[in-house]
Amino acid sequence: MRETWVVGVGSNRYGKLAETAREAATKVAVEAIDDAGLEPKQIDHTFVANCFGMTEHQGHLGPLINNGLGIPDVPSVTLESACSSSSAALHEAFVHVAGGFADAALVVGVERLGHLDTMTATGYFAFGADYPFETRNGATFPGLYATLASAYRAEFRTTPEMFGAIAVKNHANAARNPKAHFQKEITLRTYLDSPVVASPLRLYDCCPFSDGATAVVVAAREAFPHPRNEPLVVRASVRAGAVTDLQDRTDLLGLPSSRLAGEKAFRQAKLAPGAIDFVEVHDCFTIAEVLALEDLGFFPRGTAAREALEGTTARDGRLPVNPSGGLKAKGHPVAATGAGQVVEIFEQVNGRAPDRAVPRTETALAHNVGATGGSCSVHIFGRR
Amino acid sequence: MSTPPHSVSEFLRAYESGGPLRGFRCPRCRVVTATWGLACSRCGARPLEEATLSDRGRIVAGTIVVVASDEFVNDAPYAYVLVELDGGGRLSGWMPNVHTDEEIAPGTPVQFTPGYKPGVQFARIAPGSAEGTLR
Repeated sequence: MRETWVVGVGSNRYGKLAETAREAATKVAVEAIDDAGLEPKQIDHTFVANCFGMTEHQGHLGPLINNGLGIPDVPSVTLESACSSSSAALHEAFVHVAGGFADAALVVGVERLGHLDTMTATGYFAFGADYPFETRNGATFPGLYATLASAYRAEFRTTPEMFGAIAVKNHANAARNPKAHFQKEITLRTYLDSPVVASPLRLYDCCPFSDGATAVVVAAREAFPHPRNEPLVVRASVRAGAVTDLQDRTDLLGLPSSRLAGEKAFRQAKLAPGAIDFVEVHDCFTIAEVLALEDLGFFPRGTAAREALEGTTARDGRLPVNPSGGLKAKGHPVAATGAGQVVEIFEQVNGRAPDRAVPRTETALAHNVGATGGSCSVHIFGRR
Repeated sequence: MSTPPHSVSEFLRAYESGGPLRGFRCPRCRVVTATWGLACSRCGARPLEEATLSDRGRIVAGTIVVVASDEFVNDAPYAYVLVELDGGGRLSGWMPNVHTDEEIAPGTPVQFTPGYKPGVQFARIAPGSAEGTLR
């Protein structure tokens, strides 16, 4: 495999898009290619992630983006892997570049749901679950993670304050991120007073519906040996799957695909969890951050819930978790989220996030889950 | 009349007609599933054997859904539960008029019951009732 780098990134502010997904995606693609110091014609393949383009009556986004970039002859594919769509696109780009099928590839993740009301958007989100066997039986997305949270709380001793501390931490980080959807801190009181969405999950346990677009340029070291920015060296790019339906899982105290992807990624990178300086993990709900940290091996089973309360996962803690604000507060534009995690790591490594800088940036991990873990991506990055 | 394997629509029709609930049993590891498939999701063996599932079981985990999707918006709040069926297989379903976590505590006995809308609906079984009085 060829050594593969992330060499440039682009992202808009997550929240509400006042333009179409196509326009937003093309703009961040230009930003990322410019950031990398490349020309669009140096892109050999474009991988576009999008889940809900049909709500804008638009599929087949890839060629439209390439047209807008002036490279209509470049191949593209538009792919969907629920909330892990753009990390899946990144993995495809990695496979192409590392395998020698492309010297440079463009990854674009874009989502727009802000033109829909909450009820309709809740319905669309739930389509990532098993429609006839979960959604049709009353599952919502918060409802499925709430079921996992209930199982976790029944097994391990936790308090609402532990989950509240995760929300408070991630909002504090997002307040220092100009690209974040929610740029405001919250207090534990605000968390505890917020209404229940699906018990035990309160409003502030949940990520928002966000619009957003993010792009990442991936390139082979041997083809572009003199990058403009400090590149992220892709030490591991791994995908894993698991049985989709919660009703077919033997264990509700974690996501099997996270465990599998994490184990494979650490093996591929020849690293142990203790070697990672900071992480961006999939915190669509506060319980998801807890499960992720345990599934990836950063904390023993049943113990991660208290880490935010104890400050371990704060920006200046032993393991900074979601310095961007995470899905929880930076926002969750479904198919842009995974690429967005990579933007945060790139910006931290390049010193572009001074207000929320983490102390050590030699190695970082990005963890991105599709739905309730039917799919999962883990990427580990290092420096040259 | 069904020809193996059960189709998804046969599963769904059973929910609406009041059963019997459809499922599959793995020919190798014997695990029972209430989800449609062609091979065992645990060991990969096939073909699966058709199975009829019990209409009774106990809650494994669940939630009270307050913010519902449009299909359930007029029913919220309601319970969404995972149920371990007697004799094997887990099935998810909803419970109307259940508003507290205490009512869906793990181990609570429930019975599948034909509902007034598509999907699997459960009702709690009154404690101490041999007849399984629904409440």
